Amino acid sequence: MVFIVIAIICFFLQMIAPWWTIIVISFATCGIIGKTGKIAFWQSFLAIFLLWIGYALFKSLPNDNVLAGRVAVMTGIKLWWALLLVTGILSGLVAGISGYCGYQFRMAMLAKKTDEKIA
Amino acid sequence: MNKIKALFCVIIPIALAFLFNTKLGSTPPLLKFLNPFMGFWQNAENNHFMFNHKAKIKGAIDKIEIVFDDRMIPHIFAQNDHDLYLAQGYVTAMHRLWQMDFQTRFAAGRISEVVGSKAIEVDRYQRRMGMVYGAENSLKGMMADPKAKEMILAYTEGINAYIKTLSHANYPLEYKILDFKPEDWTPVKCALLLKQMSAVLAMGSDEFYMTNILKKFGPEVTKDLFPDYPFREDPIIPVGTKWNFSPLPIPKTPESFTQAQTGAVKTKEKVEGIGSNNWALSGAKTASGYPILANDPHLDLTLPSIWYQIQLHAPGVNTYGVSLPGAPGVIIGFNQKIAWGVTNVAADVLDFYQIKFKDSSHNEYWYNNQWKATKKRLETIKIRGGKDEVDTVYYTHHGPVVYFQKPKYGRADNVPVGDALRWIAHEESNELMTFYYLNRGKNYNDYRKALTFYTAPAQNFVFASVDNDIAITPNGKFPLKWKDQGKFILDGTDPAYDWQGWIPNAQNPTVKNPPRGFVSSANQSSTDTTYPYYINWEFSPYERGKRINDRLSAMNKATMDSIRLMQTDNYSILAQNLVPALLPFLNNEQLNATQKEALAYVNKWNKRYDAHEIAASVFEIWTKRLTYDIWGDEFEVKGIPMRYPSRDRTVEMILKEPNATWYDNINTPKTETLTDLVNESFKYSCDSLERRFGPINKDWDWANVKQSNVPHLAKIPGMGSKVLQIGGAKSTINALGESNGPSWRMVIELGKTPKGHGVYPGGQSGNPGSKFYDNMIDTWANGKLYDLFYMQSPDDKSGTIISRLKISK
Repeated sequence: MVFIVIAIICFFLQMIAPWWTIIVISFATCGIIGKTGKIAFWQSFLAIFLLWIGYALFKSLPNDNVLAGRVAVMTGIKLWWALLLVTGILSGLVAGISGYCGYQFRMAMLAKKTDEKIA
Repeated sequence: MNKIKALFCVIIPIALAFLFNTKLGSTPPLLKFLNPFMGFWQNAENNHFMFNHKAKIKGAIDKIEIVFDDRMIPHIFAQNDHDLYLAQGYVTAMHRLWQMDFQTRFAAGRISEVVGSKAIEVDRYQRRMGMVYGAENSLKGMMADPKAKEMILAYTEGINAYIKTLSHANYPLEYKILDFKPEDWTPVKCALLLKQMSAVLAMGSDEFYMTNILKKFGPEVTKDLFPDYPFREDPIIPVGTKWNFSPLPIPKTPESFTQAQTGAVKTKEKVEGIGSNNWALSGAKTASGYPILANDPHLDLTLPSIWYQIQLHAPGVNTYGVSLPGAPGVIIGFNQKIAWGVTNVAADVLDFYQIKFKDSSHNEYWYNNQWKATKKRLETIKIRGGKDEVDTVYYTHHGPVVYFQKPKYGRADNVPVGDALRWIAHEESNELMTFYYLNRGKNYNDYRKALTFYTAPAQNFVFASVDNDIAITPNGKFPLKWKDQGKFILDGTDPAYDWQGWIPNAQNPTVKNPPRGFVSSANQSSTDTTYPYYINWEFSPYERGKRINDRLSAMNKATMDSIRLMQTDNYSILAQNLVPALLPFLNNEQLNATQKEALAYVNKWNKRYDAHEIAASVFEIWTKRLTYDIWGDEFEVKGIPMRYPSRDRTVEMILKEPNATWYDNINTPKTETLTDLVNESFKYSCDSLERRFGPINKDWDWANVKQSNVPHLAKIPGMGSKVLQIGGAKSTINALGESNGPSWRMVIELGKTPKGHGVYPGGQSGNPGSKFYDNMIDTWANGKLYDLFYMQSPDDKSGTIISRLKISK
């Protein structure tokens, strides 16, 4: 569920919003519907990993990866597909961490409320 | 506890957002850059599908149609001049926005704004040389002319209309790498761009070095080693051409001729990098009976390409050629009736004046026996990630005092400290009108009229018309000077040292339809010694010009192919002159096996710098080392920056003065002779090649030693070309060095319908993610030309069209 929600919202929002939308959306989604920490991290990670790689390929394949090849040389990574992986992993990690933080944030807030009730 | 946890859960994502949205050192903001929705992936253009587009621009008066051919070259069809230049601005920005922006920021000394304090010396230099001051003056000249004003304003409007269509996702790639934003274009940027051309072509100055040489060696030696006319020359205006005007009186040479201060930098060998060739053959020498004109301007090659091909069609004009991204009009090209091209003149239009200040406040300086006030100009340099710097530049009536302290910056090496700069690029001017009239020119008279508007950088304007007229004119605004005024640093206190007016434009050297049936230039001396005025004491060496004239003299029934092959001619006149003179000095018995083998190659050499010539590599390093052996000991003195005598003078000495004292290395007790130096330098050449590449093998090929390539304008790795295995050398017609050479090769066959051919090392698009970024490089490297598609209407079927852009109000 988390996976689909993040992927769809990010896909549409990113057409107009900056990249850090993925942080906000992962955090919020997992903060609201995240079931466990594991799910929060991995589904956020996978959603953005696949979304970014998929969209990058959508732009890069019709270009015969000419630009990706040049940028790969610029960054020292050399191979265009390695650059693609870096794009996916880095964005995925950021989304995953944000999702995990979102989930933990809710847990912390819930715990706080329970604490207050008990008190 | 839970509060802290919650806080961390919020802080971590925010920190991540911040971290990956910030430029760290020269690394772009990582995720902003990698984001496929807005980052660099968006710049990957579709290689397989092209679409037609429509655009609305409020300022457009009428409908405009732009047709792109299969090399993405735009052909603009407009109903009036305003729309024509509006559309030119629009498409140029569409393909080259970052390049235009970056070049003009560079010219204006604003690079620190983009890259931070590491560019501060670059910016100070540009400001202190008066680039912005000159551009502002120049703009006054352009805006005073209604036609030029219309051109500039419409062009600016077109660029800005394009910028308005952009969002972050479609900013050109380099903005994303360097993490900055496009800014609105302004008319002064057009002027800055033209000033930058002056800086590239007419900022050379040896007077600081020459003054040091004069001080160290005295007038006799200076005169001997740095003569006012070369030993061998084949001037642009053929020897013996009569001057049909009565010259103005030449100002008197003041009696107190020179002395100056020195700083502390290292001697540099004069590098011959930028120069160009052009020529035109009259119909008598061509197969078609109509003239053929050729031009190849040599510059520091870059991607995106220096030039932008375009066709401009509107009532009263239909011209095709190359433009400079950032300036309206076609600079080198042709129309139905005429063709024209340019090479650099290297006129002495930049002088330094020694200034005597009253005190260290620099508020007053001594001139004409009284104290005169300086003017202050404050230059505010914005620095990314730092505080603004305000730099005060003091202006005398000559111009700005460039430095009071020597900076650690290579380009400033030849600038004497405490001296004021007088430079033609500071004058009010309106070069655009020259191109406006050439673009619309019909005949020789139109050409002559167009040239009167031109100030700087002075160019040899070659011309041919369908009426079978050919002509060439070293043209620009030349200061009226006494002989050698500006060979050394000038006295800024004495009015006799000022520029004394101008050579009348009509009296600039020119020749029309000379008996030899062709005109040509290759940056050599403009005239023989009979020309009454002083333009400069030294020009580029004569070898390229000589080879061109030799070939053209022998040529009959010329076709586009014979001219094309000539443009890529690698034959070296320098080798022709030097190899037979040097070989007898070599002592065969003292050579080792590799050196003997190398000598065998040189013996068999056809004197061509072709890609696979091993002898060319040996000869090149050999003669470079020999020059160093001869002059290095005397002319490289710590604390006294000087330059070497010219190549021409060195060759003359080798051929005619075998016993000159200069051969002796003054740093050794032994007395060296020319024989010693020739042998030492030959061995040095072979040994250095052997160290790099092992025993003689394919790696010794000239192309491999030279490593020609076309780098990116901002030297961003990965965005340049591969290493090209091609021949050519600076002293050959095909003047191709490591990364400078023919930036545009053009051959125009005039006739009932003109036929144009051309290529540059790059492509139309400035986007490294486009297949049109470097698609012409291989054709260029192979010495081939494309047929240029000179369209008569938007529906002309004679070429391949890949897309159309319609602009309306």
